[in-house]
Amino acid sequence: MSQFVFKMPDLGEGTVEAEIVAWHTKPGESVDEDQVIVEVMTDKAAVEVPAPVSGRVVSITGEPGDKIAVGSPLIVFDTAAAPTVDSPRAAAVAAQAAAVEAPVAPAQAQVVAAAAAPVAPRSGRVMTSPANRRRAREAGVDLATVAGSGPGGRILRSDLALGSQPTPRDVSAETPAVRATVPETTEIKVIGLRRLIAQRMTEAKRTIPHFAYVEEVDVTELESLRQHLNGSLPQAVPSLTYLPFVVLALTRALDSFPQCNACYDATREVLVRHRAVHVGVATQTPDGLKVPVVRNAQGLSVWDLAAEIRRVSERARANTATRDELVGSTITVTSLGKLGGIASTPVINAPEVAIIGLNKAAERPVVHGGTIVVRRIMNLSSSFDHRFVDGYDAAAMIQMLKGLLEHPATIFIPKVQTS
Amino acid sequence: MANMNMIQALNSAMDIMLGRDPSVVLMGEDIGYFGGVFRATEGLQRKYGEQRVLDTPIAEGGIVAAAIGMGVNGLRPVAEIQFADYIYPGFDQIASELARIRYRSAGEFHAPVTIRTPCGGGIRGGQTHSQSPEGIFTHVSGLKVVMPSNPYDAKGLLITSIEDDDPVIFFEPKRLYNGPFDGDPNKPAVPWSAHPKGLVNEGYYTVPLGKADIVRSGTDVTVVTYGTMVFVALAAAAALGLDAEIIDLRSLVPLDVDTLCSSVRKTGRCVVAHEATRFSGFGAEILSVVQEECFWDLEAPIQRVAGWDTPYPHAFEWEYFPGQQRVRTALTAVMEPA
Repeated sequence: MSQFVFKMPDLGEGTVEAEIVAWHTKPGESVDEDQVIVEVMTDKAAVEVPAPVSGRVVSITGEPGDKIAVGSPLIVFDTAAAPTVDSPRAAAVAAQAAAVEAPVAPAQAQVVAAAAAPVAPRSGRVMTSPANRRRAREAGVDLATVAGSGPGGRILRSDLALGSQPTPRDVSAETPAVRATVPETTEIKVIGLRRLIAQRMTEAKRTIPHFAYVEEVDVTELESLRQHLNGSLPQAVPSLTYLPFVVLALTRALDSFPQCNACYDATREVLVRHRAVHVGVATQTPDGLKVPVVRNAQGLSVWDLAAEIRRVSERARANTATRDELVGSTITVTSLGKLGGIASTPVINAPEVAIIGLNKAAERPVVHGGTIVVRRIMNLSSSFDHRFVDGYDAAAMIQMLKGLLEHPATIFIPKVQTS
Repeated sequence: MANMNMIQALNSAMDIMLGRDPSVVLMGEDIGYFGGVFRATEGLQRKYGEQRVLDTPIAEGGIVAAAIGMGVNGLRPVAEIQFADYIYPGFDQIASELARIRYRSAGEFHAPVTIRTPCGGGIRGGQTHSQSPEGIFTHVSGLKVVMPSNPYDAKGLLITSIEDDDPVIFFEPKRLYNGPFDGDPNKPAVPWSAHPKGLVNEGYYTVPLGKADIVRSGTDVTVVTYGTMVFVALAAAAALGLDAEIIDLRSLVPLDVDTLCSSVRKTGRCVVAHEATRFSGFGAEILSVVQEECFWDLEAPIQRVAGWDTPYPHAFEWEYFPGQQRVRTALTAVMEPA
């Protein structure tokens, strides 16, 4: 048989390893070229890897959660065993099918055969130890259907994957009342995106001395503007939220506070300030938290920003975001909308140095011009990297942002040029 | 309790049996006046007299034949064959007479003869002083075959053998007379006084035949061995960091099938090691037993470590002796993933 060893491909510049998220094939199965065989994850992007050839899968390397170095063997194909009628058993099944179903075209017979015998039985004697033969017999496993990963294709104990659980005893009969009320636990392997989130959160909280700054913002006028704009939208255009206004105002504020739009390169001990504002938008997805990036937010209109925020968030949620759409932010905005609460202490999206959190906007009684009036108030809860952002500058930046949002016209009015 | 080497332990066993049982007699070449070439019978003729400890002519056939006659007539002879390499002239007496006397006489006669003989290499003895012919005797029905690996067992097993009413061939691995030997001739010799099995009860005690000793319990692999190879196997397994179960058979016939098979059932892997030549050696019998009893527990083919199938050489002794390297090779092979 001719073997094809498929190695972990380089899935993006600088990728040195990728984590296996899910296998879509297993040893013994036959796959077609371009059929998705494995889902892997690099720094942030999940990538579906197609089969480079047609053939039978001889062995695979790694379980979900394992990290495989780029260039190391990932999967071995037996290319001589393409999924066609190529074995006596499959041929026999095909012949049977032909006999039962009267005149059957050869092509149809092939389909039947392939479906009936997805695992091509090996020719000749199964190679494995006597102990494994007994294990397989006791577990009712047909060794002819097990692919061996040992020398010369020998079936190893690990290939059987039988586990060693004893037959579960019926304990409910012994102490029914007690057993019934004890909740079972569920163990969830921390792999894939969740592991990445865990690693990045731990890293951020462990290395970055965070400080939080919470300020309330009177968004009564912003709400009025938003309502006005939403009231005159064409039908196809979704309503505006606060988010594009906040992002736009943020780009204006960062113009005056470049120390907040920066990333820290710890290996070189260099703080990199960015002229462009690439805004990470913290997004809840079915898999967990992702931070898709709106690039060059400083150059976009409020409409373009709204559309781009929607677009990248949806791609993140649908798991179709590319790696480029998930890396390279320079500052992050996090908003839970109606779930935003009164205040929060967001975790900085390292290596950035600031994160701006939007809390819930709600009408509150406030003293305004000597009388108590009802105003719409929204808190901004932000965290900064105290190594690189002083409290004074952070407060001044948030105050500027507050000024812009409380007088929304100023978001759109250019800064006064001094000389 | 006293520190004894294997010679002293064997001497103590014979001393005690001569004292306990007036029917016990010792006989052999130079064992009386001289005390034996390895000093195993030193002082015993002086203590018990020429009627109890007999010097014989250099005629192994005659020694065995006389012992059989004494045994049939009510004595309990312990014959020494100076080297196992010299036992062949007595082989016809052993195989044709001694082993069959009870069977041939329908139980009317029996010969409680013990034949002591030093065996094995590692002593620069060449082809005439290094052989391990135990497999030739295990193949003869009617003989018990014993080989201790330390002073404590040697004494207890020899007393049991002398007390046994049927013939026992008692092999003494001469490389172990003065200390345990791990197969490395370049290391300084270790005396038995430095080993716990060198501490021997000075009085009467027995070690049963047919009961193997688990020298070291472990879970990775079972090493079935006896004699000199016990210590070689221990060292080889330790060098590989394996949690090996080392079984010292102590008596080859009767064979402690239960102990060795329950061990192999536990570990799923087995190495058999002996000094004797490989082809038709006693290791082949152990392999067969393990295969018959434990086949469905085996994770890997059983490995054999043995002497090469040539006469024991005068030169290149350490290329011939199945030392640690050969045991390590077998252990590595048997430990391959299953």
